[in-house]
Amino acid sequence: MKFNFILLLIFALLVITAAEMIGFQSIPLGPISINLLPLVFAILISMVLGFGIFRKGIVKKIYSEKNVTFASKYLIFIMLPLMARYGADVAPKLQEILSIGWIFLIQEFGHLGTILLGLPVAIFLGLRREAIGSTLGLGREGELAYISEKYTLDSDEGRGVLSLYIIGTIFGAVFFSIVAPVLLHFGYRVEALAMASGMGSGSMMTAASSSLAATIPDKAKTIIAYASASQLLSSFIGTFVMVFCAVPLQTFMYKLLVRGKGDKSWKQTA
Amino acid sequence: METNGINKYAKYALVVLLSVALILFTQQIKLLKNPDAAPISSMTIWGLLTLWLFSVIGIIISELAKKQPIGFIKNFPVLGWVSITSLVLCLMSDTFVKAISAVDFLSITTPILTFAGISVVDRLADLRKTSWKVAIVAVFVFIGIYVGSATLSQIGLMISGQ
Repeated sequence: MKFNFILLLIFALLVITAAEMIGFQSIPLGPISINLLPLVFAILISMVLGFGIFRKGIVKKIYSEKNVTFASKYLIFIMLPLMARYGADVAPKLQEILSIGWIFLIQEFGHLGTILLGLPVAIFLGLRREAIGSTLGLGREGELAYISEKYTLDSDEGRGVLSLYIIGTIFGAVFFSIVAPVLLHFGYRVEALAMASGMGSGSMMTAASSSLAATIPDKAKTIIAYASASQLLSSFIGTFVMVFCAVPLQTFMYKLLVRGKGDKSWKQTA
Repeated sequence: METNGINKYAKYALVVLLSVALILFTQQIKLLKNPDAAPISSMTIWGLLTLWLFSVIGIIISELAKKQPIGFIKNFPVLGWVSITSLVLCLMSDTFVKAISAVDFLSITTPILTFAGISVVDRLADLRKTSWKVAIVAVFVFIGIYVGSATLSQIGLMISGQ
């Protein structure tokens, strides 16, 4: 085994130790509190140490090209035990989940919220074709594949979805781990927030649901079960919701929003 | 350095083994920090082995699925296959559920996010290529999907009287 790879493993153990020693932190901000889990510290530490300025000496060896490639290529396989864990969380609650299965089904259409909320903002900011790519969905693999097939990635639409993909990859988990419990203060029930956590991104779902579970430990089992059931459903019907609902809705809203503004502005920026 | 055949599976299996080993390590650190955290028992070890086994079965199913012609099944992610494998086997035997439940949930998440952090460092430079406008849009897109789904769930729960 290569020396650099052993360094990577030792580094991972150190990051985990540091993140766990910091532990669960709750920062009160007025009536709302922001919960930070060890997983948030883990991603922040390993990301920040990878900044250019820190990449010297031994840190440079840890973040060698091969090691970073290993992490991104095999991240999915490192996630698999988590996915296997979800089966054990859903199984005992399957009856309960199936009895309200229709709620799980309808909340999938909440994914259209990316367009309903995101598209007007994008148009307001002056984005045009880029808005198509960046508001079609959460910007994960499904949207990336659809947009690149339809417009290629080297188009305005493609750049839009790619940007969202990058932003989501880097900030998504941290974002949802903070936002999910905050919504409890807005009157949302934790069961509803748990179902909403299954959005089609493994790391974002994990971040949102574990943050909720840490906030309301009594319902941890239900939260994890609902979130993972919803995640599984998203991976089944996510593509269908995108192709048959999101795309037509987006086309309709796009025409409505840019009408009168003409297509001039995007041509100028393009 | 493309690996194929048995080699490829051996590599996947080793990476998953690394992952479960890191979970055990994390759970131990949690115990050092807080002695009241989930204990490590022989059940925990069985649970970790079960997680490893289910992951490997899921990988094999996913690779087999890629070889058949139906697009939807071919493109179904390996993450989904592992969840389904685990769900089916856990429904078949409660022993699996008991073993897996002895593995602390949050201990599974910390190692993953550690590697997620390492995996994105070279993308940080790409951030400069993304415009600040898309960054603002991203915030609304993320809130949109989450609040959208949560609102529909909440209405559903209210209607069903739960």
